[in-house]
Amino acid sequence: MAQIVLAYCASHAPMMAAARDSAPEDQRDRFFGALDRIRQEARERGVQACVVLSNEHFTNFFLENFPQICIGLGERNWGPTEPWLEIAKAWIPGHPALGEHITRRTIAAGFDPAFSHLLELDHGVMTVYHELDPSMLLPMVPIVQNCAVAPLMPVRRWYAFGKALGEAVRSFPEPLRVAVVGAGGLSHHVGTPTVGDIDEEFDRWFLDRLEQGRIEELLDLTDAEIELAGNGAHEIRSWLTVAGAAAPGTARTLAYEPVYPWITGMAVSRFVTAGVS
Amino acid sequence: MTTYELNRCVYDFMRAGELGTGEVAPFEAARYDLTDVERRAFEEPDIAALYRMGLHPVLLNGFCRAVGYTRDGYRKLLEPLADAGTGKAPWRH
Repeated sequence: MAQIVLAYCASHAPMMAAARDSAPEDQRDRFFGALDRIRQEARERGVQACVVLSNEHFTNFFLENFPQICIGLGERNWGPTEPWLEIAKAWIPGHPALGEHITRRTIAAGFDPAFSHLLELDHGVMTVYHELDPSMLLPMVPIVQNCAVAPLMPVRRWYAFGKALGEAVRSFPEPLRVAVVGAGGLSHHVGTPTVGDIDEEFDRWFLDRLEQGRIEELLDLTDAEIELAGNGAHEIRSWLTVAGAAAPGTARTLAYEPVYPWITGMAVSRFVTAGVS
Repeated sequence: MTTYELNRCVYDFMRAGELGTGEVAPFEAARYDLTDVERRAFEEPDIAALYRMGLHPVLLNGFCRAVGYTRDGYRKLLEPLADAGTGKAPWRH
């Protein structure tokens, strides 16, 4: 059976790739240092495939049809979409068998994910994936989430989906060592009069609760409350999905930096996964 | 004429810039069912008007980038429209 040998989340501000040096050096060093550590751990744990969850930024879907969940089943997916992102465009290998298994198992668990045999991967996935594997050869099952276009799936249901996702990965009948990755958040404001604001209080409160295992307090958050930390803060859905997949493992914050030039509370947290600390 | 048409127009404009290579045909807003006010807001562009008309913030952010506004630049245009978020948040003491 497959194992989740690594579960972590990281913010995915596009400027981390497109304008890396615009961040203060000390903040940059701490944030990328945490991602370097994750990359090293992925090597040590022999990660063979990854599942990466991220917000849909009108890259694959528009208002005619906007799924809450879309699982990538393709043999390959393409990215990054943005021509200005300092990441080479590439075909990213998929893992169709794992993707289809996740789709079937999460449907059996009561969810109704859409699926796609060809996804475009924007900064949401590509920034974090590229830090995990700069060669971009690690097979990936992308899962696109609606964190931006109301009405949104409640955070509590995303956590439940995460649990179903974790069970699906662990029931995949091959000895595959899998990383489950959430990419997005924390607080940020995009396309609003408050663009550029970061709610450090929210970010630290959120990270503390993940560390302390006080997940229920996070699952009770309403969309109106989350919006107070910025419309981009709805991307905590990616984090809570990974929290579900790693449950009952709690998180450890490896870095938190409110990077104002990147207009985002930038964090990296790793979850304790069964049998692997 | 509808919020959808306005959003669709801006989305198509942005995607044309992202995906286009070589010669790109001029973008024709006339293809969209927009009111004169909406079309003018798109063509000028009038960022504050587009925000007021319901352009999705993710699209507005990308549109501003595509037409040359910095984030600080478009923030100044939108600040008069700010709706103070005064709700009670669990993390605010």
